[in-house]
Amino acid sequence: MILEVTDLRKVFRGDFVAVDGVSFAVPVGGSLAIVGESGSGKTTCARIVAGLERATSGTIQLDGLDVKSDRRARARVVQMVFQDPYQSLDRRQTVSACLDEVLAFHTGLGRAERRSRIGELLELVGLDQRHAGVLPRQLSGGQRQRVAIARALAPSPRLLILDEAVAALDVSIQAQILNLLVDARAATGVGYLFITHDLSVVRHVCDEVIVMRRGRVVESGAVEKVLDAPTADYTKKLVGSIPRPGWVPARGGTRA
Amino acid sequence: MSARPVDGDDGAMGALLEFDHLRVEVPTPVGPRPVLRSVSLSLFAGEAVGLVGESGSGKSMTARSVLGMLPGAATIGGAVRFRGTDISTLDATGLRRLRSRDVAMVFQDPRATVNPVRTIGDFLTEVLRERGMSRSAAVAVGAGILADIGVDDVPRRLKQRPYELSGGLLQRVVIAAALAGEPALILADEPTTALDVTTQEEVVAILDEQRRQRGTALLFISHDLELATAVCDRIAVMYAGEIVEILPAKSLHEDARHPYTKALLRARPGSVPPGERLQTVPGTPQSGIEAPSGCVFADRCPVAEADCRTTVPLLVGGVACHLEVP
Repeated sequence: MILEVTDLRKVFRGDFVAVDGVSFAVPVGGSLAIVGESGSGKTTCARIVAGLERATSGTIQLDGLDVKSDRRARARVVQMVFQDPYQSLDRRQTVSACLDEVLAFHTGLGRAERRSRIGELLELVGLDQRHAGVLPRQLSGGQRQRVAIARALAPSPRLLILDEAVAALDVSIQAQILNLLVDARAATGVGYLFITHDLSVVRHVCDEVIVMRRGRVVESGAVEKVLDAPTADYTKKLVGSIPRPGWVPARGGTRA
Repeated sequence: MSARPVDGDDGAMGALLEFDHLRVEVPTPVGPRPVLRSVSLSLFAGEAVGLVGESGSGKSMTARSVLGMLPGAATIGGAVRFRGTDISTLDATGLRRLRSRDVAMVFQDPRATVNPVRTIGDFLTEVLRERGMSRSAAVAVGAGILADIGVDDVPRRLKQRPYELSGGLLQRVVIAAALAGEPALILADEPTTALDVTTQEEVVAILDEQRRQRGTALLFISHDLELATAVCDRIAVMYAGEIVEILPAKSLHEDARHPYTKALLRARPGSVPPGERLQTVPGTPQSGIEAPSGCVFADRCPVAEADCRTTVPLLVGGVACHLEVP
């Protein structure tokens, strides 16, 4: 396992339980989705794994590393891609400077080696040297998300956390990025922790899924099992709410 | 459901709402450029039409043109007619009447719609009070609609303020307010995009049910083809300021003919077995400002020919494509 989370609990401001005894694991090179609606605690789980939030209790094993000790070592194992590349990229930094900064910080590569590694990373995410010297504002939303993914892959992490990373993209761009994520996983062996509300995305890129509601896991298992034959009432409701051919929206969301 | 033509482009007698070669140009550093190129579409009483497409395709601009809410510097060609009257000929009183009585609009973000310092009851009854209805009568109507659309504890809700309600509940209040004025037409611009899927189902079910009960026409804007298909009678697919295809919602999946519509349908993650590559369209979505001067989709079209770059295809038989000759 690259990531093993056991009995995670997060309490905000003394009384609000955002995450309540959640356990999950991502195998090496695996792909786990956490799905749920707003307020389910899925993003809090992701932020704790990334080290952006401290757990109230529970243990997190990242590649056998003691995650509390060394932030830099942790960042070499786990990286994160956020929903909005407009906000997560420095708007005054060119694409190559953005990647170079991460490489210089996390790797011992010399200048020339870093330059060739930047070329590899751009190629991996479907960009090229023409994009290296430009600022984020000169790129489209889809291209910016490619840069954010390249930056996250720069330290060669073992796990990528994608927090609604394709949710803000137009359908045709989302398809390009989903293909890219499938390719990048095949090429680098990186594992994914995919935080999303979009079950069709889960079906496309993930092996396993956990369904969260109000801080708890209500169902977990292989993607096709959970989405095709859900057992928990909430999962049934969630799956039944997805617009699809022949779907008729119903009041009360009672249909499975 | 009222009788309606096969296509929306044939200009129509008795249409409730008619876009007639609507063209909207905005000033840019290189001169005026079109955001909408030539939009023609008719909507009949009680009918629901979905406008779908990606960012910059002009969906919202099309809807806003109905209420005369276009950018101040825009030049407008063609016409938008509501019950046969060209909206650009309305004076301030006429426009006010149109906005408060005939047409209601529901936006994506309910929190940007509702006055945060007034109560839900005030918001809900504003339009009715404006028409001279007494406070108690207006409250009774508003409360009745809230109850109809499944909001519980109505008396308490009426006294609450927007920050006390969840996004899903607040969007229901916005829809209730839209219905309260008994408009002939509702413009809904991504009304459920900010909501969770289970709430989305509830909200579109309410919209659909109320529309049918009241015979209200609906222009439903969405980037989600499947959602629009479930809610609407016809689907108009927009790209770069043009309607490139319009067809009955039921036959969208089988009968889509425009290369862009087909590409959109294939790009959804659910369209191929898991793990298989999604078929993508090269490049990024363009707005009317950037699109080529012939067919707007020519730059990204997998089957484009030389003709496509130079000649604008007309929307004939429901599709605007040179390669789809009826």
